[in-house]
Amino acid sequence: MSTTTSGQPAPEKDSPTSAVSGAEIVFDNVVKTYPGQSTPAVDNLSLTVPAGKIVMFIGPSGCGKTTTLKMINRLHEPTSGTITIDGEDIRSKNATELRRTIGYVIQGGSLFPHMTVEENIALVPGLLKWDKKDIAARVEDLLELVGLDPSRYRNRYPKELSGGQQQRVGVARGLAADPPVLLMDEPFGAVDPITRQRLQDELMSIQEELQKTIVCVTHDIDEAIKLGDRILLLSEGAHVAQYDTPQEILSNPADEFVEDFVGSGSSLKQLSLSRVDELELQQPVIASVGDEGSAAAAAARAAGQKDVIVLDARRRPVGWYSLGEATRMSRLPQESHEDISVVDRRATINDALDSMLASSHGGVLVTGRRDEFLGVVTFTAVTEHIRSTSESSPS
Amino acid sequence: MSDATRQVSTVDTGVEDRKTTIRLLIGLPLLCAVILGGWSIWRQTADLDDIEARQLAWGTILELTRQHIVLTLITTAVVLVTAIPAGILLTRGSFRRYSGFVTGFANAGQAAPVIGLIVLLAIWLGFNTRTAVLSLAIYGFLPVLRNTIVGLQQVDQTLVEAARGMGMSAVDVLRRVELPLAMPVIMAGVRTALVLVVGAAAFATFINAGGLGALITTGINLFRYSILVSGAVIIAVVALLVDWAGRVLEVLLTPKGTT
Amino acid sequence: MVDFIADKWQDILFRSYQHVSLVVQSVLLATIIAIALAVLVTQIPRLRSAANMISAIGLTIPSLALLGLLVPLVGIGTLPPVIAVTFYATLPILRNAVVGLSGVSPTLLESAKGMGMGSLTRFRRVQLPMAWPVIMAGLRVSTQMSMGVAAIAAYVLGPGLGTYIFTGLAQIGGANALNYALVGTFGVVILALLLDAVLLLVSRLTTSKGIRV
Repeated sequence: MSTTTSGQPAPEKDSPTSAVSGAEIVFDNVVKTYPGQSTPAVDNLSLTVPAGKIVMFIGPSGCGKTTTLKMINRLHEPTSGTITIDGEDIRSKNATELRRTIGYVIQGGSLFPHMTVEENIALVPGLLKWDKKDIAARVEDLLELVGLDPSRYRNRYPKELSGGQQQRVGVARGLAADPPVLLMDEPFGAVDPITRQRLQDELMSIQEELQKTIVCVTHDIDEAIKLGDRILLLSEGAHVAQYDTPQEILSNPADEFVEDFVGSGSSLKQLSLSRVDELELQQPVIASVGDEGSAAAAAARAAGQKDVIVLDARRRPVGWYSLGEATRMSRLPQESHEDISVVDRRATINDALDSMLASSHGGVLVTGRRDEFLGVVTFTAVTEHIRSTSESSPS
Repeated sequence: MSDATRQVSTVDTGVEDRKTTIRLLIGLPLLCAVILGGWSIWRQTADLDDIEARQLAWGTILELTRQHIVLTLITTAVVLVTAIPAGILLTRGSFRRYSGFVTGFANAGQAAPVIGLIVLLAIWLGFNTRTAVLSLAIYGFLPVLRNTIVGLQQVDQTLVEAARGMGMSAVDVLRRVELPLAMPVIMAGVRTALVLVVGAAAFATFINAGGLGALITTGINLFRYSILVSGAVIIAVVALLVDWAGRVLEVLLTPKGTT
Repeated sequence: MVDFIADKWQDILFRSYQHVSLVVQSVLLATIIAIALAVLVTQIPRLRSAANMISAIGLTIPSLALLGLLVPLVGIGTLPPVIAVTFYATLPILRNAVVGLSGVSPTLLESAKGMGMGSLTRFRRVQLPMAWPVIMAGLRVSTQMSMGVAAIAAYVLGPGLGTYIFTGLAQIGGANALNYALVGTFGVVILALLLDAVLLLVSRLTTSKGIRV
């Protein structure tokens, strides 16, 4: 890879269709020393988090990344220095009010177990004294946004949800009052790898729509590369080891510390930089919920396909059957009894590969905004892409 | 974690498992009905002398029971409005450091026999219901205080931080997150206090403050076993029913989603 | 007050001794009963809820009521207090022993079995020592409670410091009422705290260093 790209922040995800709703966050000479400790946890940090971007904080444990995050919503107060959001010093209003304007999402969702999903999401709008009707409508929107059917999940208690669902509600709760800034503290640390990948995809598609400023602490370099517009790599004392785009960090590590941290497999990690939507998607013949199974199978067979893909009224994939399976169904049902392999178009090729290996169809469905079906990625397309990139970029 | 907090976590808060709770909720009233039924049949058919008949008249027993329950309820109310705020205070900010000392002191105080407390306070404040309420309230204070502190300390601190991070004020966090989540433990403490108080209220009669204890003293003084046993049975039934009511309250006040 | 104590110190010491002796013997008896019951409960899991219910109901019965029921059966004197104190003392120990014994990890017990320990050896060498701190905690609760129950037992002419409290009550208005009540009440408190300190020490010494908290 040539060094000419180094000046340009490459994977900018600006979309012309939606406006940036995030706000810029600026750290100016911020120091945090905990009482009774001689060395500061955060030592003179200056940093600008651009509006509408995702910045991933990563570094070895104890490097001060979480402390830095929690100073933004004043769960920790800086010993000296200033932090501004959208040009305004965060100390200009009281901490409680400030926090209501900043979304906060933590590991496992940290939902309140004695409140329903709706009550959890409605908390901050309630604190802000929104109108009851507006709150109800907002809860509904947010549940749709994070891919949970409102009528089904609104009145459930957290313990009645899976880990991934709880985390989705956690994200919805963070977004409830439409804050310009969203802070995430290892948001997907508590779920299994497949669910984590799904949640990451969803976060990216939500971000594409909302353009918030997101600051996210993680300990997973792959997650940082996948989600981050920029990565802030910190060493002990929150010293900035490198603050750059994922490309730059992978291809031009600033020093040995960064190189070690990013790891040796960085040419493989380049796979995490390519997104599914860079691949050619196949456009198969599709069927709709309620279609006659045998007719759908016949149509698919005529098009030379080995399976039937079923979409619901909003073009979300709900079923993926073999021709034989489809033929045995009188009507194609709304819900499939098995998980179908779906990735978001912003998912990395790595993710797609993982999902494919778990799928019985030798491919994976790709969805776009609000889970709308876009096409199919096949194993062949992925291997083709790997071959072409490894030929074009000698390392 | 300091040593003190670790020690608190080994305290038996009296929270029962679900199965036991359900069985007790159904079983207790049945048990009481059987005992009371049996006693009523005996009362109606037994050959009682004058003294016994007077002491065991339905009117007398109902009046003593009423006194006993009123005494219990007033005392419990006094305990609630003192011990719960005190427990909340001792888990806030700089007061936290005193919680070990206060619970330690209260623990030691719990070793004082309630009858001694009643007699001492009666020497000071005289023979009346106020003295009885005060001494019983001191006796019932500790379980509620201790469970309030333990209950609040047991609340998952990440949830508290999540609540603060979302912009809840300290009062909001306490009212909407900490107290609801601590409720099962606090209520178990309230029930323990209720049971202690309803039992100790039997001593109120020693200082002319009424209650069912009168049947026991009369039974012993006049050497009438029928009165003695009747008193013991009725006190036990009242205590079991008060315990049952406490359990019902506990179930009703435990937020859904936390069990 | 000082005069009162100086005057009566021999009697006070004797009654203190009686009080502690009643409690210690009853609690020892209660410990044996409770552990035996707990072993039974851990062998037959269905009994667990029943045991919990019995200890919950048992602790609800007021001590004065229990004494009232015992007098017609066994008369007055030392026997009703021994039965009552043992009864109440059994319940917290039972509760804790069930928790402690069933809390020992099955993997540990299985590995003990695999090493060739018989069921009795397993209980004596693995299960009981592991559960011991929890059982001791229950024992301390029982002892504190028993000190108070024993004081009440004086009402049916049982032994111990409770007698002073009731003498104080009977003599209210008299010169020595306060002295009697104070010595009776605080005597029990002091003895209870001393006994608790001893039990804490015993608990320390009899708990394996490896599982001390």
